[in-house]
Amino acid sequence: MQANSAKGQQNNWGRQSSDIQNIKLADVIDLKFLQRFQDDFAKGVGLASVTVDPDGTPVTNPSSYTRFCMDYTHSTECGDKRCAESHRKGGEEAARTGKPVVYECHAGLIDFAAPIMLEGRLIGTILGGQVLTELPDEAKYRKIASEIGVDGDGYIEAVHEIRKLSRESIEAAANVLFDVANSMSKSAYHQRKLKAVVETLSDGVSQISATMEELAATATSVSGTQSSLNQEIKNVNTVTGKIDEVMEFIKDIADETRLLGLNAAIEAARAGEAGLGFGVVAQEIRKLSGDSKQTVGKIKELTTSIKESVDKTVSMGNETTSIVEQQAAAIQEVTASVQELLSLTEQLNDLAGEV
Amino acid sequence: MANIQLVVFALDNQEYGIDASAVNGILRSKKFKIEFLPGMPKEIAGMINLRGQIKFIYNLRMKFGFAEKALSDESKFIMLNVNDSVCGWIVDEVTDIVRIDDAELQNAPAFITGVNNSYIKGIGKVDDRLIVILDPERILSIEDVESIESAAVVK
Repeated sequence: MQANSAKGQQNNWGRQSSDIQNIKLADVIDLKFLQRFQDDFAKGVGLASVTVDPDGTPVTNPSSYTRFCMDYTHSTECGDKRCAESHRKGGEEAARTGKPVVYECHAGLIDFAAPIMLEGRLIGTILGGQVLTELPDEAKYRKIASEIGVDGDGYIEAVHEIRKLSRESIEAAANVLFDVANSMSKSAYHQRKLKAVVETLSDGVSQISATMEELAATATSVSGTQSSLNQEIKNVNTVTGKIDEVMEFIKDIADETRLLGLNAAIEAARAGEAGLGFGVVAQEIRKLSGDSKQTVGKIKELTTSIKESVDKTVSMGNETTSIVEQQAAAIQEVTASVQELLSLTEQLNDLAGEV
Repeated sequence: MANIQLVVFALDNQEYGIDASAVNGILRSKKFKIEFLPGMPKEIAGMINLRGQIKFIYNLRMKFGFAEKALSDESKFIMLNVNDSVCGWIVDEVTDIVRIDDAELQNAPAFITGVNNSYIKGIGKVDDRLIVILDPERILSIEDVESIESAAVVK
C-alpha cells in the first residue's frame, strides 16, 4: 500500500513537471482578454502590437498596425519575409535576456519585443512598436522601398504618418506590457500548480480515508474473532471441569475399592489360617486402588495446569480485545480528522478553481 | 511364631492399632449421616443407620482429650464388636492392616497400666513405625455402653 501511494505521488509530480513543458500561452492567459487589453493599450499609447507564440505564429490579431507596415512593407513577399526575420531576431534577443528589447526593424522603424516567460521558459512574445524616435531620413526609406519592391513616394508618404515617440516612452510601454503579461501568466501558472497540489492532496487524503475504513473493518473483525476465540477457550475450561467431575467419581470408586480391600483383609484375618490366601487378594485390591488414586491425582494436576493456561489465555484474549477496541476508537478519531481534511481540500480545490 | 493382625488407623498423625479380630468392618464416614443425640456425653458423636440398624459412633478425639476436628473425605468409622454389641469409632484414616509377630510387641509400661485404667494394650513395631495398640474393651467401658443403651431406650 505504501509502495502504491509513493508511486502515485511520483506520477503526480511527473504530471506536473511535464505540465511546464507543454504549457501554452492560452493555458495561462485568456486570449480574449489579451486581445482587448492589447487593442486598448495600442490605441491609448499609439503603438502597434501583436502577440505571438514561441514559433512566431500570431495568437492575437494585430492592434493598430500602421499603413506603412500593412499596405507597403508587408505587401511584397520580400518585405514580409524581412519583417518575419526582424521579428524573429527581436523575439530571440528578448527570450535570451528575459527582458523587453527595443530595436530598429529592417524597415527602419522602432520596435520592441516583450517576452512572456514561465519558470525561465518562453511561452510567447508581445511584439509592437512601428514608431519612430526622430524625423525620418527620406533617402533611407527610398532605398528600403526599392529593396523590398514598393513605391518610393507612397512609402515616404506613409513613413511621415508614423508616430514619433521618445525612446523612454517606447521602453516604458514595452515594460508595461511585459510586466502585465508576465505577472498574469505567472499567477495563472501558480494557480494551476496549486490546483495540481490540491488534487494530489485530495487523492492522498481520499486514499487515507479508504485505508482507514479498511482498518476499521479489520479491527471489528479482529474483535469478533477474538470474542469467539475467548468463548471457545472458555469451553475448554468447561470440558476440563467435566473431566474433574469424572475424576472425582473415579477417585470415589478407588476409595470404595480400597475400603473393600480393607474389609476383605479384616474378614480374612478373622478367618484365621483359612483366610490367608484371601488376605493376599485383599492386599492386591488395596494396592490397585492406591495406584488408581495416584493416577487420578496426576490427571488432576494436568487438568489444573490446563485450567491455569486457559485462564491466562482468556485474560490475554481480553487484553487483546481491549487493545483492539482502543485501536478501533483511535481509527475512528483519525477517520473523523481525515473527513475534516477531505472537506478542507474540497474547499481548497474550489478556491483554486475560482481565482 | 504366633502373631496378631492389626487394623492401623491415624489420629493427629499418630498411628494406632486394634486387633483385627475385634473389628467388624470399616465404613466411609461420608456415606453416612451422624444423627445427634441430645443429653449424651461428648465422647458420643451420635448414631448412624447401618443397613437398618442403629449403631452408635464414638468420638475418640474427645475420649483422648484431643482437639475437635471436622470429618474429612478420608474419615472412617471403624466398627467394633465390643461387649456383644457393635459401635463405631471416628478415625482420620485407616492406613493399613498389618501382621505383627509377638516378638515385635511390647506391653504397655507398668506405670500406665498400674496407675489407672489405661486404654493402651501395648506398642507394636512395624519397621520404623511405632503403633500404639489400643484396648477397645477398656475404652468402651461397660458403663459407657450401658448409658448409651439406656439413653436409646428412653428415647
